[in-house]
Amino acid sequence: MKMPGLTSDPGETSLVPFSSEVGPVVYPLRHGLKPPIAARFSISWSRGNSLRVSGFQSEADDGEVVRGKVVEVKLGSGDSEIDHAQWRRIAYGSVSPFALLQSHKNSMAAVSKMSAVSSPYDAEWSDYVMEYSRDIGFLLGGHKLSLSVGIEDTKTVLKKVEEPTCLKAAWELMVIFYADHKSQAWTPEQLVDWLAVRTSFKKIMIAYCQELSQQFIQNLSTFKRNLPVCRFDFAIEDDDKYWEAISSALAVGWLDVAVKMLRLHGSYQLNQVGSREIENGLVEAVAVLISKMPHMRLELAPGKLGECFGTKPDFIKAWEKWRGQISKLDCSAFWFQCDHRQTREGLKNLLQIMLGNANILSSATCHWMELHVSYLLHIRPFTMGLESMNNLAQKCMQLKPVSFPHKLMTLLLGILGENTEVSDVVLAECSRSFGPCTMIPFPSAVQLTGGSPQSQEQQFRSGHFLDEQPVLHGHPFAFLMLIRYPFGRMVVHAAELLAAGNTQMEILLHEERHNLGGISMEELHRLVYAQVLSSHALTWQIAPIYLASCTKQGMALLKILLYKQPVHHNQILLKNIEICRLYELHKVSSKMMKIAGVHHWKHGKKGSGVFWLQQARDEIRLSRIAQQLFDFVGKSISDESFKQWEGLIELLGSESRIAGGLEFLHKYVHDGIATNSAQKAAESLILLMKNPSTPQRFWLPLLYDSLKLLNWQEHPLLNVSQTNLLLNKLQELSIVARLRPDFTEADLPSQALSSVRLALATNLGRAILEE
Amino acid sequence: MEKTVTTLDKGTTCSSWNYSGQRMATGSTDGTLAIFDSVDTASSSFTCSSRSRLSGVGSVVKTRTWLDKVQVHEASIVKVVWVPPEYGDAVACIYADGTLSLWEEVVEDSRPLQWKLCKDFNKSSNQVLDVQFGVSLTGLKLVDIGNIIPFLSLTAFLDRTQVWSTKLSPYEAWLYKVAAYSDGHLKVYELLDPLELKNWQLQAEFQNVIDSVSKFGKAACLSASVSWSPERGESQQLSFVLGFNSNIMQLNSAKVWEFDQDHQRWLPVAELALPEEKGDPVYAVAWAPNIGRPYEVIATATHKGIAIWHLGLNPDLDGRLSVEKVASLSGHEGGVWEMEWDMSGMTLATTGGDGVVRLWQSNLNGVWHEQAVFEPTT
Repeated sequence: MKMPGLTSDPGETSLVPFSSEVGPVVYPLRHGLKPPIAARFSISWSRGNSLRVSGFQSEADDGEVVRGKVVEVKLGSGDSEIDHAQWRRIAYGSVSPFALLQSHKNSMAAVSKMSAVSSPYDAEWSDYVMEYSRDIGFLLGGHKLSLSVGIEDTKTVLKKVEEPTCLKAAWELMVIFYADHKSQAWTPEQLVDWLAVRTSFKKIMIAYCQELSQQFIQNLSTFKRNLPVCRFDFAIEDDDKYWEAISSALAVGWLDVAVKMLRLHGSYQLNQVGSREIENGLVEAVAVLISKMPHMRLELAPGKLGECFGTKPDFIKAWEKWRGQISKLDCSAFWFQCDHRQTREGLKNLLQIMLGNANILSSATCHWMELHVSYLLHIRPFTMGLESMNNLAQKCMQLKPVSFPHKLMTLLLGILGENTEVSDVVLAECSRSFGPCTMIPFPSAVQLTGGSPQSQEQQFRSGHFLDEQPVLHGHPFAFLMLIRYPFGRMVVHAAELLAAGNTQMEILLHEERHNLGGISMEELHRLVYAQVLSSHALTWQIAPIYLASCTKQGMALLKILLYKQPVHHNQILLKNIEICRLYELHKVSSKMMKIAGVHHWKHGKKGSGVFWLQQARDEIRLSRIAQQLFDFVGKSISDESFKQWEGLIELLGSESRIAGGLEFLHKYVHDGIATNSAQKAAESLILLMKNPSTPQRFWLPLLYDSLKLLNWQEHPLLNVSQTNLLLNKLQELSIVARLRPDFTEADLPSQALSSVRLALATNLGRAILEE
Repeated sequence: MEKTVTTLDKGTTCSSWNYSGQRMATGSTDGTLAIFDSVDTASSSFTCSSRSRLSGVGSVVKTRTWLDKVQVHEASIVKVVWVPPEYGDAVACIYADGTLSLWEEVVEDSRPLQWKLCKDFNKSSNQVLDVQFGVSLTGLKLVDIGNIIPFLSLTAFLDRTQVWSTKLSPYEAWLYKVAAYSDGHLKVYELLDPLELKNWQLQAEFQNVIDSVSKFGKAACLSASVSWSPERGESQQLSFVLGFNSNIMQLNSAKVWEFDQDHQRWLPVAELALPEEKGDPVYAVAWAPNIGRPYEVIATATHKGIAIWHLGLNPDLDGRLSVEKVASLSGHEGGVWEMEWDMSGMTLATTGGDGVVRLWQSNLNGVWHEQAVFEPTT
């Protein structure tokens, strides 16, 4: 692949280094055409960022009929772990939290402009952000897995092994570090909880359980009901794996699991009590110590073990006391009286974990994240601040190097390293997880070592996408790019947390960039998100909310989005008009009504056509329609033709300022006179006056215009009954005129009514004489 | 990842989607114009709802059962372009013999809905190469805000080559048609009646050269490409970009033309070619939507690849707009055929002789690069 030539040099101002080994991601396009592949492809962007590709088979083919195809490719839909329906649910659900946060932001900005004091709002603001993070978090994950799944309900252990989505995990991580300011003092504890929900440790547990006999599993489920009489056919404590599992659980802070597993120990069984008291006492002593482990946090979730201390001094005191008890037990003479080797060693091991023995911790954990958490729990419980946590993380990574960094790990490292630990290699890889086109410009992309796109994608999803440690280089900007990796389309929301929690990030996100056409990263995220939303008929309606929050380019994109809606569908048109009213896009709504009007007019729905053209105030088209109507009426006048135009005359006339309303009727009559077919004109006049669809407002102008006909010199053009009809109409008019003095047509002279009356009277007299 | 939207008739040569992506028009070698519709707006499955073909005399619109009997106009359709929606559901078809015709879907005189030929542009010695429709805000004769005059611009060319492309510019006010012809001339037509697509008036005719004084021999053009500047603000001038693939160097380079209201004429305001590349034949041009950038973005394609240009918004004293080439991208072997910008003007999709679809984007440093490739497989 040839590298695109660059005429502009990113130079010194470059935000992120541009890798020179750039290559695009290659995707297959299954077109069904026979090789040699078709001569031609044609492309067209459809809704949002879906691309339609037409493939035309070349003519040179043999007799077999192979027809071309049109396929649609949706770009930027890379969240493979979330299906479409769920994605739409998230998209809809996240609108109102987002809108609420924006409105809080705006109102607080307005308040802080008025008063120089901004501090009272900080607390309030962080409440809003937390509310927002809770709402979104709820949408992403649904249920949070309980930690107490361990033993009580074995069946659910096995059922609930499906991990919560990465998206949810990433979101929670962001909340811990950026949104939850109030719990900052307990960040390590939060991290322990976070890991507990999704650690691979759970898999070890399950694997262990699965290795045990089916009977064991069954016993486990009866265990809960008949704890005292539960029997095993074998001694669980003889199994090294049993102790390993407890160590692992304790190391990462699954205290309740560790304690429950300890109580499966054979010495608890009734038939053993007489012979194994000491052993049982030691097991129980360790279990009690575990369950009393101090935590520096305000409260624990129900069912969790440990004791909470809200302040550091209290915690230090309690922790030292607890450690003292452990050391005391460790030196106890009872150990010599315990003859069960595995129990003795296993318990001693657990004590070493609690005493913070680094070697034991290292062997009890498998991933550096677990080691990291175990250090936070058992070695450095007072670790505070990102820097020290980062140093610890680096150390753990050296101890337990991973060849395949998972995206969540990368995200965590980025956060801990104050957003500088992100390599552009990782970034480049991230860009691949978003499908063919991320829509958000990416700093660079790096060619993978090989393999098909599918296998690359596979590797990537499993987190195994690099063969070597990424070369780290630091820039918060890279982090900003990185968060797109775990968050995908939700990055617009993740950016909200970032901006709320970190000043540097806020500046980065809000800074206007020339290379982006003058918009900020935040706006870019929102524009791109809106474009993704517009790709689907069921989500486009929520795109305007995000576009409205884009101060620079949102409205222009919204206009384009609205123009692309099929407005000849009435419901869509009404929805569009509503959106236009909301954002004061009057020109757009009038253009859409015009499109709808023309469509209906040309498709035989004349009434709706005229209605929408009137709504659009399209005077040129309306006057053209009036002209057409007149030409039509002029050609032949019959009840039939009037029926066909029923409603139209009224519609045209209802807007008196629209040119052409009355004109065609006037013109008709005048033309009649001009062509000297006076008799025909008079007949038409009667037809018009008789027709129920001729509006009453037209009567007087018509009659007044027809004075010439009524006063025809040679002979009366109207017979007696015709004249009577007109006189009746005139009478109706004069009644209306009495009721509503403002009724008189402004265009007509004040004596119009009486002139017509006089003319009709004269005509009647003459007609009677003639008959 | 991809989903089949519809299957095309055998012999289909070109396709075009309407403004909302809800209808597709295709043309085929036997001159049949087919229209594809979906059942509802949320569906992405389309079926053919109408097939029409130009006959020798006037228009003949037939249903599928009839079709086989009408074999008068044999010319293949090479390009289909939708008319802006405020003029109804209508398409312009360019035929291989260089004729151009407008088809419209209408209900007339209590007859059922049908596609009807509403205008057949007279076949002259010149062939139409490309057509695009543009709508301007300020009418040429009626300065009446809120009304539309279509512009139809035609580009035509002689030779045994065919008509290539026709596009309509979406301007609010008057519909214009720009057509490029095979003799290197550009014709701008104006629609006289917004409800009747048959009444067009020639508004201007000129050659795609900056210096109107220069003379050159008879031009032979293989193809031409026109792209109207997408609708932006209310005050914006009507403009388009046009490039030729011909034997006359001066004609070829892509030039931006703007309508000068005061003098009622079209003026070249920019040339999108470096001095040493001015004679290079241009295969395709595409003007990007601008949702708020302080400059316009236009893509042009020559045998050297795709070039991305920034066009300034404010003219200098001579009335010229500043031009900067920000990227030259290579990728399509065998030339570029089509270029299309997405709705935000951030991603450019292209197809070419190599039979693949490529997507191009600018990164955060303003560097353009190839983002993705779609390679057909069976």
